[in-house]
Amino acid sequence: MNMKRMGALFKREIRDILRDKKTMVMMILLPLVLYPLLIVGMAMVSSAVIQSQAEKSYLVSFENCEDLEKEIVTILKEEEEKIGYKVKAVEEDNCKEALEAQEIDAYLSVEGKEVGIYYLSAKEKSATAYRALDEAIEIYADALTDQQLKDAGLDADVILNPIKLKAHDLSSTEESVGSALGAFMPFFIVTMILLGAIYPAIDVTAGEKERGTLETLLTLPVTNFEMIMSKFLAVSCIACTAAFINVLSMSGAMAFLVSSSLAADTNMSVDINFAKFVPGILITIVVMMVFALFVTAACMCTCVFAKNFKEANNYSTPLLMVFMFASYAPVLPDMELTAKTAAIPVVNVALLVAGLFEFNYNYALFGVVLVSNVVYSLLTVMVLGRIYNSEAVLFSEGFASVKLFDKRSEMKKNQMPGIGDSVLLMCIVLILVLYVGTFAQIKLGFGGVAVQQAIILLCPLIYAWYMKADVKKLFSFKAPKVKGVLGGICFAFAGVLLALVVGALLTPVFPQSAESLKAMDEMIKEQPVWVIILVMSVMPAIGEEFLFRGFLMGTLREKCRPWVAVIATTLIFAVYHMSLLKMFTISIIGLGFTVAAYMTGSIFVSMMMHFINNFTSVMISLYPEQVGKMFPALMKETLGVVEIVVITLIGVVLAVAGWLLVRGEKKA
Amino acid sequence: MIAANDLCKQFERTVMKEEEKKTLFSKKLQGKSGKKETFYAVDHISFQVQQGEILGILGPNGAGKTTLLRMLGSLMEPTEGNVEIENLKGEKITDSVELKKCIGYLSGNTKLYHRMSTREMLYMLAEIYEIPKEEADKRIEEISKVLDMDAFIDNRIEKLSTGQTQRASISRCLMHDPEIYIFDEPTLGLDILSADAIVNFMKSQKEKGKTVLYSTHYLEEAQFLCDRILMIYKGKIVKEGSPEEIMKQCGVTNLREAFHCVMKEVESA
Repeated sequence: MNMKRMGALFKREIRDILRDKKTMVMMILLPLVLYPLLIVGMAMVSSAVIQSQAEKSYLVSFENCEDLEKEIVTILKEEEEKIGYKVKAVEEDNCKEALEAQEIDAYLSVEGKEVGIYYLSAKEKSATAYRALDEAIEIYADALTDQQLKDAGLDADVILNPIKLKAHDLSSTEESVGSALGAFMPFFIVTMILLGAIYPAIDVTAGEKERGTLETLLTLPVTNFEMIMSKFLAVSCIACTAAFINVLSMSGAMAFLVSSSLAADTNMSVDINFAKFVPGILITIVVMMVFALFVTAACMCTCVFAKNFKEANNYSTPLLMVFMFASYAPVLPDMELTAKTAAIPVVNVALLVAGLFEFNYNYALFGVVLVSNVVYSLLTVMVLGRIYNSEAVLFSEGFASVKLFDKRSEMKKNQMPGIGDSVLLMCIVLILVLYVGTFAQIKLGFGGVAVQQAIILLCPLIYAWYMKADVKKLFSFKAPKVKGVLGGICFAFAGVLLALVVGALLTPVFPQSAESLKAMDEMIKEQPVWVIILVMSVMPAIGEEFLFRGFLMGTLREKCRPWVAVIATTLIFAVYHMSLLKMFTISIIGLGFTVAAYMTGSIFVSMMMHFINNFTSVMISLYPEQVGKMFPALMKETLGVVEIVVITLIGVVLAVAGWLLVRGEKKA
Repeated sequence: MIAANDLCKQFERTVMKEEEKKTLFSKKLQGKSGKKETFYAVDHISFQVQQGEILGILGPNGAGKTTLLRMLGSLMEPTEGNVEIENLKGEKITDSVELKKCIGYLSGNTKLYHRMSTREMLYMLAEIYEIPKEEADKRIEEISKVLDMDAFIDNRIEKLSTGQTQRASISRCLMHDPEIYIFDEPTLGLDILSADAIVNFMKSQKEKGKTVLYSTHYLEEAQFLCDRILMIYKGKIVKEGSPEEIMKQCGVTNLREAFHCVMKEVESA
């Protein structure tokens, strides 16, 4: 990838989009002028309507009710403020005909013991007159009840209100406002990002085809990847900006609306501490940025098939609808961010944002949402890459012949996977673990953990088989030498000790949820020991090593500089565990695994190390007392300064010893 | 020098069978509107073009001219075979990005970005071809003078006339001073003056020692411009040689008659 060329293309795309009037109107003019205008205008219209309704006078008539008529007319006059409408009584000979001819708006008639209000529900004016009459009669009835109770010598207040009820809302104003905002904010933001992304996405894909510049672009010395990435990044930038402008302008208009209606409706002084929303808004911005990448990729994937603007508009309509419906999720009852919903695209973002405004901060789930969004974006970008590679789509419109996957029979023998393959595989594994793994854990309990490990093991193997990869080279199948094994053992224990220190230091910063740990502990304790050791230490040692030190490192080793390959493998291994605390400890442990596997060129060394590490933690959780007797430091809740220094020193010494040993093996 | 080594391009097309045509409607409902088959749009073509040579590629519509030129320009990947360029230093290049750096490709389908001015476009190209700023400035001045673009170089391309747009297109190919030009029907639909400008441009590049490959339907133009002619039909080379040789072989005095003669020969064969 040549950054300079990509930069030039990116600049061009941005400039092109910004010079397109259509996009600019959609992006700037619409949100900055139209939305505030609409909201303010609507508020003004509705208040004007209310005012005119209040000022308008309604005509009512009475039939066979001399006594009642007098009372009601008095009430209508005296209680006009409470009723809210001006109502005038007029004489009519035939009330029914007059009402049908709309000469009067409603009439009252006494039939025996019943009082009837006649009105036309289809006519707005008549319906209002009905409400006014209804209110007046209620006032009259209340007065009658009061009078009758008083005549009977009773206290009206005690009889009518036997229980004095008052609701006390302990939610802070911020919480109530947040919950109201959280219900519609996600829908609103998602829609805005979509609207911001869709026009530029059409412009750089179908628009480019329509204007005939695509072939020009193909004559330039840029790789397909650079071309797609520059387009993708340009559209994402625009989408983010559009979302930002939209949110800003809409919140401004909303604030105006809220403050003006609060001022008009009630006299209470509402103090909203807006500072409380700042962390939520900041996280929302981060999540939305990542989400904008996904939206952009999805839009581009759809629009690339279109020949022109019109077609692209048609194709993107269903996409818009799906996204908008999904973003309605927070409105549904009982929908909240859980381990399950955190992996559903669009829905997860909507729920996360809604939760943030209700001050629910669950950082572990945020991690899942962010990672899954990155994964979906990557996958979609890769699909986009495949589509852009397909000449059928680029040159001759039709898309029946887009080949997203090559047949196995077309694969070259003994090839090595590329970085794209690794990214794809990682995405597939993650999605499978998130969906199938989580589902299996819910259904099978402890067995689900085994299913998860099986997925991690099988995916790289199947992928390697499908592409006819050079398995021996890719997975580093090589018997290690004694030095390498010893080095690996040193590294493994160094990792255990250093991770212990880091974990102890970081636990106060990222508190682990005690419940999830306890649930896991209980699930484990029900199983026989050999099963636990198999599932928790042997299976991860094989599966995760095949995936990370095998496929991932094997690929990166070929394509990148050594340190890039090692660091990238370690970080991806750490992120995959999706826990903030674990990310640090596992980075340390994983670094040992990766360095050992890289230097010895043997996956068996890192498998052994992985087994040692997991076996240690299984032993700690199974036999805490025995382990505590042998190594008291391992079981302590908090570590003292001396202990930290000593453990760190031993860890560092072991790490250095391990390094010398594996380096020795590499030289030999 | 540019060489095509055994180039092939396969496409898929849907073929309707006779009985299926009759029941097209019902078949379509069942989702079987025809049978897919693959065919060669370019069928094992090999040739070489030397420095300072103009090669004309002639053939009826659908013969595979555009596909061939697209593969030569690395816009399409060949199904089989490869394209090889030997640059002035004698290095052999086969990587598609590196190939594109040596080629100026122009066809009726390579439109320009409307919302940019010609100068902006040339600066963008300079960045992509990694030409330093000072050199780019100089080169743009030069190109503007050669193609007489001073009057409109800062106007948006959407505002230019057809002739001006064509000159801007040529300037696009010139920016990186390629060794090889590939033009796909460059004079199609142009007036006499604009077409002449392009023909003169190709001649001047030949004199500078550049290689030019171009396809055309104007046989008179090809007759006096080309050093060598390839006639292709259904993806295969059916005749190759200088215009004089081809006319002599067919026993005629102009290329148009020679073309008819060759086509008749292949169709009867």
